[in-house]
This record gives sequence, structure tokens and C-alpha cells, in this order.
Amino acid sequence: MTVTEQRPAEIVPRQPASAGREGWIRRAPLLPALIFTIIVTQLPFLFTIYYSLQSWNLVRPGSAQFVGLDNYVKVFTDSQFRGVAVNTVVLTAGAVLISMVLGLAFALLLDRQFRGRGFVRTLLITPFLITPVAAALLWKTVLFDPTYGLINFVLSPFGAGQTDWISAFPLTSVMVALVWQWTPFMMLLTLAGLQSQPHDVLEAARVDGAGSFAIFREVTLPHLRRFIELGIVLGAIYLVNTFDAIYMMTQGGPGTASANLPFYIYQRAFLGFDIGQSAAMGVVVVIATIIVSTFALRLIFRSFQTEEG
Amino acid sequence: MADVVFDQASRVYTAGAKPAVNRLDLEIAEGEFVVLVGPSGSGKSTALRMLAGLEEIDDGEIRIGGRNMVGVPSRDRDIAMVFQNYALYPNKTVGDNMAFPLKMRGVDKATQQEKVRAAADILGLTDYLDRKPKALSGGQRQRVAMGRAIVREPQVFLMDEPLSNLDAKMRVSTRTEIAAMQRRLGVTTVYVTHDQVEAMTMGDRVALLADGKLQQFDTPADLYDKPANAFVAGFIGSPAMNLFTLPVSAEGVRIGSSELRLPREVQSRISGDRVTLGIRPEQWGVANGDGGASAGGVKAQVDVVEELGSDAYLYAHLDDDAQTAVVVRTAGRSGARRGDQIVLTPTSDELHLFDPESGDRL
Repeated sequence: MTVTEQRPAEIVPRQPASAGREGWIRRAPLLPALIFTIIVTQLPFLFTIYYSLQSWNLVRPGSAQFVGLDNYVKVFTDSQFRGVAVNTVVLTAGAVLISMVLGLAFALLLDRQFRGRGFVRTLLITPFLITPVAAALLWKTVLFDPTYGLINFVLSPFGAGQTDWISAFPLTSVMVALVWQWTPFMMLLTLAGLQSQPHDVLEAARVDGAGSFAIFREVTLPHLRRFIELGIVLGAIYLVNTFDAIYMMTQGGPGTASANLPFYIYQRAFLGFDIGQSAAMGVVVVIATIIVSTFALRLIFRSFQTEEG
Repeated sequence: MADVVFDQASRVYTAGAKPAVNRLDLEIAEGEFVVLVGPSGSGKSTALRMLAGLEEIDDGEIRIGGRNMVGVPSRDRDIAMVFQNYALYPNKTVGDNMAFPLKMRGVDKATQQEKVRAAADILGLTDYLDRKPKALSGGQRQRVAMGRAIVREPQVFLMDEPLSNLDAKMRVSTRTEIAAMQRRLGVTTVYVTHDQVEAMTMGDRVALLADGKLQQFDTPADLYDKPANAFVAGFIGSPAMNLFTLPVSAEGVRIGSSELRLPREVQSRISGDRVTLGIRPEQWGVANGDGGASAGGVKAQVDVVEELGSDAYLYAHLDDDAQTAVVVRTAGRSGARRGDQIVLTPTSDELHLFDPESGDRL
């Protein structure tokens, strides 16, 4: 009698003993975190939806009353809301794209050997390490101030030192400060991409007759694609929520010229005290963000899946 | 096609350090297949990269077709290179990979396609032209890298250990394919390898480097039969040549307590009182030690027998001096076993004698 005779013909994978219970023992320590997350994110969202169906002014106690979708109708007919939404898109897209282009340029410069490279790299990273509020204050007072600002000081010999930059170009000023803060992040990401590029591929391109620009376009840029995509998605997720820079530099003004959605909602809730209206805006923004970020996340995952071989 | 000349070409990575390539002189004829071989760190890859324009030529010259290449960028040298890891462009299809050098030279689309197709035909890659390199096996990637070099129709092919990432069987078949293709295309080829079998089988001539210096530049047969020094003798041949540094006696050399008689004309070349004697494993005659030692033989005891089917290698140590190991190649299934006593006698007059100090051939 041989051993093989006793075995069934088909080979089935061996089931690990009591997989279900083991699994729950492993998951249980994570439960508090899950419950906490639900309490701090999902419950407030449900409350927000409830508030958005009320007409409620904070300074008039007892004014709360159910008004159905009235607040939502007002949100969509509010031209300021639309203008602020456009500001948000312009601010986010502009800051992300410009900082990506600059970050890529700095990364390309840092990717070569030169004396003091480590020192230069540290200097270039510094803006990212500064508290956003401090950075905004720095731009507002040290650089953009019409009287004391360094920019006007530098420009004055050329006869162009009189501009009040923040009043004249509020949204652009905020964007400049954000670009300054976010360029190092994009630079680090693309630098990591550049340094993970195999040398022999670059050498092969050189032997194959490609010049520097052709190598960048044909070999380096395709290699960096997923790093650039990742930088754009992460940057957009952070920058769409920008609040501190606007609060410190312009207070969203003049009017709502430099306000983005988070700031405008804050204004309506805590300066205008219109809880119902701002709650409805919040809900609209959350839904819009979910739609946009679903595409964004899909982009991230796609770029992780198409890893190169 | 062009000839390639290394004229005292040197490469120093940092000033004052030992040169990676030290005054290398090579004259490679048009259409010749030359293999650079040597152990790790011998400078063979550096020499190739200097020819490719990927490393500076710090001193001396390298000429391709008579043109001095010092300061000439890679793309103006009209060379094609196959890299150890193939260095394919991961985001391009096989077809685009092969067309890339043509595209960079401004060749029109139709001609690109035609040449890529022709090369793909030769290499059996026609069905894979639309795939990305990721979706290919190692052997196929290697052929794409070859194809990318062929479509160029360059003056010189450079190959940097192109077979070292293939499995053993694939390596043997690709070895012959590359050699055959080079003969057919007739393009001057410089091929770097650390594998002496590749060097011996593929090259018209082989340049053996060690420590950045050229040891010998010769045909494979001459490299094997007339090694220029003890290093070449020990490097070429597998198992390696037995090298013993021995005291000279009246009629030959003393090995352990026995005396190995040398033919008179061999002996006449010895000048000092010690000499390095080289005997290839197949140059030993083996007799069973029980039958009484024949005159001039060396007694040894077998430690390990490697049976390869056609041959067997006996690894033994001398009876008189257990520190001295001997390798012997015998016919397969000789019946030798571990612990056997054997008596070894050199069967060939072609023994190799080297100066014990300089290592030079006597």
C-alpha cells in the first residue's frame, strides 16, 4: 500500500484552522480607531446635513426652523459661491501646476553633482518646513508690503516700487505664497523619481544618439510620470483646503476676490452666522470633492499599478 | 565598419588613485571580434565605457576608424552598445525601443519601420514588436537590446556582459547566436565578459586584463597554450592550471620529497634556484599508487572526485605536503575515489615555467 493511494485525486488548498476567529482577534485592536474616526468625521457630517435643512441664524436664538432644500437652492443661485468655486479651482490648479514645474526644474538641477549640493538641497526644502501661517505672514509683511516689502525695495531702482501687491493681485499673491511653500514638496517627489532612474537606460540613450533634451523628453519624463501624477494629486488634496494663507494674507478680500470655498464657508458660518446656508455649502463641497477625488484616487492607483519592468 | 585603437588609454577616477585602466594598448582590426576578459575590478568594463564615451579618457587616445575620440560625445561616435541589464526604455514598445536610435538620427518613419522589421525578423521578435519590455522574458529582452544595436548599422558594437543575466542554457545558445551574427554582419565588436568560456569561444582575439593592465592580447588558443604570465595561466582554463613554486634540482624540480624530471630544453630556461611550474589538469598522467611509484612521479591522495560524465576532475593533495593541492583531469568513470593513492606524472613536454618573482613566462 502506498501513501498516494489514500489521497484524493484533486489537490485542494489547506484551510488555515479557524480563520474567522483569528481574523477578528487581529482586527479587534483596530476597532477603537475606527469608532473614533466615525465619531469625528461621520457624525459631524450627519449633523451638517441636518443643519443644512434648517434656517438658523446663530445670533437669533430660537430662529431654527425646517426649510427643506431651500438652502441648497440659495447655494446654487449664489453668484458669490460660484465665483469662490472658480477661485478655488484657479488657486488649487495654479499653485499645484506651477509648483510642480518649478519643483521639477529644481529637482533636475539637484540631480547633478556639484559642490555644496547637500546645503543647497536643505535650503530648497526649508519653505516646506515652515508653518503655513508663518509663511503667509512672511510673504504678507516681509515681501509684499507696499512700504516695507522687499519686493518693492528690489524693484524701486527700476521705478516700479509702488505697487500694493496684495490689494492689486490678491489671488495671485496667495498663490505665490502657496507655490513657494509647495515647490519643495514637488521637488522632493520628482527628485526621488530622478534618483530611482536606472543609469544604464540614460547611458543607452546617450549611446543611441539622444541629446540632453531628447533624453529628458523620451526617457526621463515618461519615467517621472507617476511621480508627477502623485505629486499633483497629493498637492491638490492639500491645497484645495487652503485656509491659513488666505486668512493671514487677504481675509478673502477684497470682497471675495481671493476667497476659496473653505474660507467662504467659514465666513458665512462664523462671520455671517448663517449656519443653515453654510452647512448646505459644506455638503455641496463635500459631494463635489468626493466626485473629484474619486477620479484623483483612481489616477493614483492606476499609476501605482502600471509599474515598469 | 572601422578599426579601433587604444593607444595608452588610461582612466583615473580620482587624482592620485590607482588607475582603473592603466595605459591600455589594443589594436583591433576592422570586423574583428575582440573579447575583454578579466576578474572583477580588472578595468575591462571601464575600458569599454571609455570606448563608448561613457567614461573620460584621462590619458592617451582611443581611435575609431582613425578618428581620435577624446572629448567626442557618445552620440557622435557611431557606436551601438548592449548593456548587461539590457537598458531597454520601459515606457516604449519593443518596436519603438529598436527604432529609437534611428529616430534620434532623424531617419524618416518608413525607413525606421523597415529596418526595425528586418532586425526583428533576424532575431525572431516580429510577434513582440507591440509589447512593452516588461512583458518579455530575459532572453527576449536581450534580443531586443541586440536589435536596437543592429538597426543602427554602427561602426562598432560594444557589449558589456550581455549574457550574464541569462540562465545557463540560454547563455550557451545566445553565445553562438551572437558570434554567428557578428560574423555575418562583419561589424567590429568589443565584448566584455568575466566568463572565460565566453572569451575562449567567441573572440577572434582575447585581451586579458588585471588591475587595469593588459596581461595578454592573443588568440584564444595562444592564450591557453602560451600564457604570457602566471596570472594568465591561472585565469584561463577550467579547472585552473596547477601552479607550484618549487626549488630547482639537478634534473628537474623538487616537488614534495619526489623529483619531477623536466626535459632538458625546458630545464635550460630556468635561471634562478626556484621556479613556478604550471601544469594543466589534463597534462597529468595518473597511475594507481598501489602499484609502486614510477620514477619521477608525484604521490598524492585524492580528496574529492567530480564526475562530469565525459571527464572527471580529481582534487588531491600531495603526500609529502598536504598544503599543496593538485587538480587532475582524467577520463570519466575512472573509478577513483576519495582517499585513493595516486601517482602523477606530467604527460606533456608543454609545461609552463614562470619566473617566481615577476610571474613572467620563461
